[in-house]
Amino acid sequence: MSMFRAKKLDLGCFVNIRVIRDHTKRKVFAEHEPERQALRYIIRNLSLPASTRAKAQLQLTQMHCYTRPSQIRNRCIEGGKSRGVLRDFKMTRYNFRMRALAGLVPGVKKASW
Amino acid sequence: MSVPRSRLLDLMKVQCRIFSHTFNPKGLRLGNHVLRQRLKGPALAAYYPRKMATLKDLRKAYPEYEMIDEDEEDRLESLRIIKARGKGAPKKKRTAEESKKAKRR
Repeated sequence: MSMFRAKKLDLGCFVNIRVIRDHTKRKVFAEHEPERQALRYIIRNLSLPASTRAKAQLQLTQMHCYTRPSQIRNRCIEGGKSRGVLRDFKMTRYNFRMRALAGLVPGVKKASW
Repeated sequence: MSVPRSRLLDLMKVQCRIFSHTFNPKGLRLGNHVLRQRLKGPALAAYYPRKMATLKDLRKAYPEYEMIDEDEEDRLESLRIIKARGKGAPKKKRTAEESKKAKRR
């Protein structure tokens, strides 16, 4: 959501709204992670009273969806695509191939034997 | 040669104190595995490359030097050519009346 978005764009890669959104989600998740983990601990601790745990469960589910790690998806830094992204290079397979063939990806060489 | 259970529990207690583990002989679910997990937020937030210094910043930092932005020059050059041929974009309409007139035409 726009209230979480940085006022000034701080991305140096390919930018479209989906990349900005994903980047915002990452930052919001990093900010709220300790709180989420604390709630998770309360929920999983069976020695605490049931009412406390139920309250924690409710609180965790009512947190904003941007604070959830499952909202985050790796996107291509060259084209913003979300499918076929190689995790090691943060690029889609096609962008990776083009850049690798051009010799722009360090340590990558076309195999030939 | 059997050791009593209470003695073993004492040993475990001391062991836990020394190695700063949680003493939990009954195997209750205390959710400690959540506390043991590392925070992955900083690693996830560092996925996209951040913006580096731009030409604008460079100019601001060193106002005494003259820097040439080739892409910007190219853009202005092509704009100038287009405008000279009369193919440029029309002027932005300021008032509602003006925009209405433009629509009617």
